Amino acid sequence: MLQVKEQLTCDVLIIGGGIAGLMAAVGAAEKGASVIVAEKADTRRSGSGATGNDHFLCYLPEYHGDNKKEIIQEMEESQIGGCCDPELFELFADLSGDQVREWHSWGIDMKPRGDWEFTGHAKPGRPRIFLKYAGHNQKAVLTREAKKRNVRILNHHLLNQILLNDEGQVAGAVCLDVTEDIPSVQIIACRSLIMCTGNTTRLYLPKTAGWMFNTANCPACTGVGRASAYRIGARLINLDMPHTHAGPKYFNRCGKATWIGVYKSMDGKPVGPFVKKPTRELGDITGDIWMEMFEMRRKAGEPVFMDCTETSPEDLEYMMWGLSNEGNTSTLDYMKEEGIDLRRHMIEFQQFEPILVGRGIEVDKKCASNVPGLYAAGEETGNFRGDIGGSATFGRLAGTCAAEYALKNRSQASPELKKLPVVQESLDFYEQLFTRADGTGHPGWKEANVALGQIMNDYAGLEVRSENMFKAGLIYLRRLREKTRNILACTNSHDFMRCLEVLDLMEVGELVMLCGRERRECRGKHVRVDFPFTNPLNNNKFLQIQKVSGEPVLTWRNKR
Amino acid sequence: MPPVINKEKCVGCGTCAQICPVDVIKFNKSLGMPEIRYPEECWHCNSCVLDCRQGAIRLRIPLPAQLLYVDVKSVRGE
Ligand SMILES: Cc1cc2nc3c(=O)[nH]c(=O)nc-3n(C[C@H](O)[C@H](O)[C@H](O)COP(=O)(O)OP(=O)(O)OC[C@H]3O[C@@H](n4cnc5c(N)ncnc54)[C@H](O)[C@@H]3O)c2cc1C
Ligand code: SF4
Ligand code: SF4
Repeated sequence: MLQVKEQLTCDVLIIGGGIAGLMAAVGAAEKGASVIVAEKADTRRSGSGATGNDHFLCYLPEYHGDNKKEIIQEMEESQIGGCCDPELFELFADLSGDQVREWHSWGIDMKPRGDWEFTGHAKPGRPRIFLKYAGHNQKAVLTREAKKRNVRILNHHLLNQILLNDEGQVAGAVCLDVTEDIPSVQIIACRSLIMCTGNTTRLYLPKTAGWMFNTANCPACTGVGRASAYRIGARLINLDMPHTHAGPKYFNRCGKATWIGVYKSMDGKPVGPFVKKPTRELGDITGDIWMEMFEMRRKAGEPVFMDCTETSPEDLEYMMWGLSNEGNTSTLDYMKEEGIDLRRHMIEFQQFEPILVGRGIEVDKKCASNVPGLYAAGEETGNFRGDIGGSATFGRLAGTCAAEYALKNRSQASPELKKLPVVQESLDFYEQLFTRADGTGHPGWKEANVALGQIMNDYAGLEVRSENMFKAGLIYLRRLREKTRNILACTNSHDFMRCLEVLDLMEVGELVMLCGRERRECRGKHVRVDFPFTNPLNNNKFLQIQKVSGEPVLTWRNKR
Repeated sequence: MPPVINKEKCVGCGTCAQICPVDVIKFNKSLGMPEIRYPEECWHCNSCVLDCRQGAIRLRIPLPAQLLYVDVKSVRGE
């Protein structure tokens, strides 16, 4: 039996110490709440922002003027748009400028070239919405700021279950301490919980067979927030709408918009409509808003390259500096070692496998879900997405609101969490994962992850979506999930963590298929071969999924 | 094997094992040295390289994750 440590208690428990999680910690602590952050890895270097970012989405009145409406429209038409509620865009626009200024005051350089500078991710003749910044130290700074406010950070602690009291309010969580070779169980009681576990990598598999962790976004983010929230009745939204990123082929890293070049075919023709000559002001936004071009061109027999050979020496230097701020020093080191010279060489780019980002837990203007005491921020949320800017801004807001809720409910007695049936069931299950390993013939997490990924790629992927593909996919996936739960095994903390990740991913995969099947039309990257029409009656609608009496229930709602 | 540790330079401080976002590196307490225990799970994020104060780590990008590039003049026949 795994050791169960003494229960910890706090007002606000934050799951995931990425960008949103650390900002939530700051926000909650400033309200006077006691705060714990449970982070699977180490907040100094965890999550998709681990080694830096360099574009911060925001509306800065002193730069943009008072034209907020036009800026919001530009956001909606950028790579982050499509699945956001207008009321949240409005709120984000109002708050994001303060977030920029606060980060700058903490020592994340938001004006690394002396003044506000907006470059990249931009269309000609349109306002630019991404602030160029030097985010290489962002995780160290945010960790320091959280600690300054007495936030308790538990590194190498991962969430598995959210716990409710008899009134259906959030009361705590089951986390696993994986610091040692054999995990121990850490139950944490809280009055509110903010889910900030990022996106869902490893749900679909990258093209590099055998290298599942060669992903554009952080491969430790595996959908636990969505899965555990769904289990306690939280509404998820927009799971039917796939999102993909693009970037250098086979060396899968985010950051395409930092490249200053032009997407071109082998013979030198620009592929997109926006730029013919490279400029740092615009970049080439084709890869942001028309990622399908990579596959379309490939099927037409044409690889697509990022061509920086005509980029001016000053812009090339600016781009390299941007890439290093953006956490892409590994790419720079590799190019140097390999002798890749962007003045002579073009690099092939590709569309990456789908992830859920800004598809997940539905929140209101206080970052609250429909479950009392459960909040969410960052890429975890289903009806807003703003990448680094959105995660920082709404992370802070979620912290403030969750603390207000917790402080109001401070008198509420917390039940003895260890005795809850769900805790006992979880403990039994963990035990089984370890005892099965004593025998032989039990698969480990890797087999399960590959099996899941191939079903997702083929039955809920980008190429073909249809009623019967989803129907078949659901049968296969449910069978796989059931079987996996019954035979999966592990022997140490590391593999145990991976087992739990894969099981969460399977749960999320099933929900993706249910939602995809329900959307009987084509929209964005959701391409239904059996419903080629884009139904204008759905233009203003999002699809939600929620567990009611043990069953998934799908509903449509208007955008807010 | 993505991260490669130069044993001559490593002083066994344990930072790389603590900060790796995906638990590739484990600290072997009995040896007092880090071990690359799960090399195929490397995300190529470079955190370990950046945070090792001894400059003891470099990344070797695995062959399947190679960048694909062409010389512009030669493919365009210039
Ligand atoms: C190379 C790269 C460059 C990028 N550049 C930009 C850019 O320039 N501009 C931009 O806007 N965006 C950029 N992004 C995206 C940006 O980094 C993300 O949008 C942002 O980090 C999301 O913040 P988040 O808090 O939602 O998730 P993350 O920062 O990913 O944090 C999620 C956290 O949850 C933790 N976690 C996961 N599961 C558990 C669990 N079970 N228990 C406890 N903790 C858990 C993870 O370890 C992680 O720390 C880039 C991403 C990458 C990878
Ligand atoms: S960070 Fe560097 S010095 Fe410290 S244990 Fe790792 S390799 Fe050795
Ligand atoms: S590059 Fe990143 S993922 Fe790979 S071992 Fe180093 S810290 Fe871990």
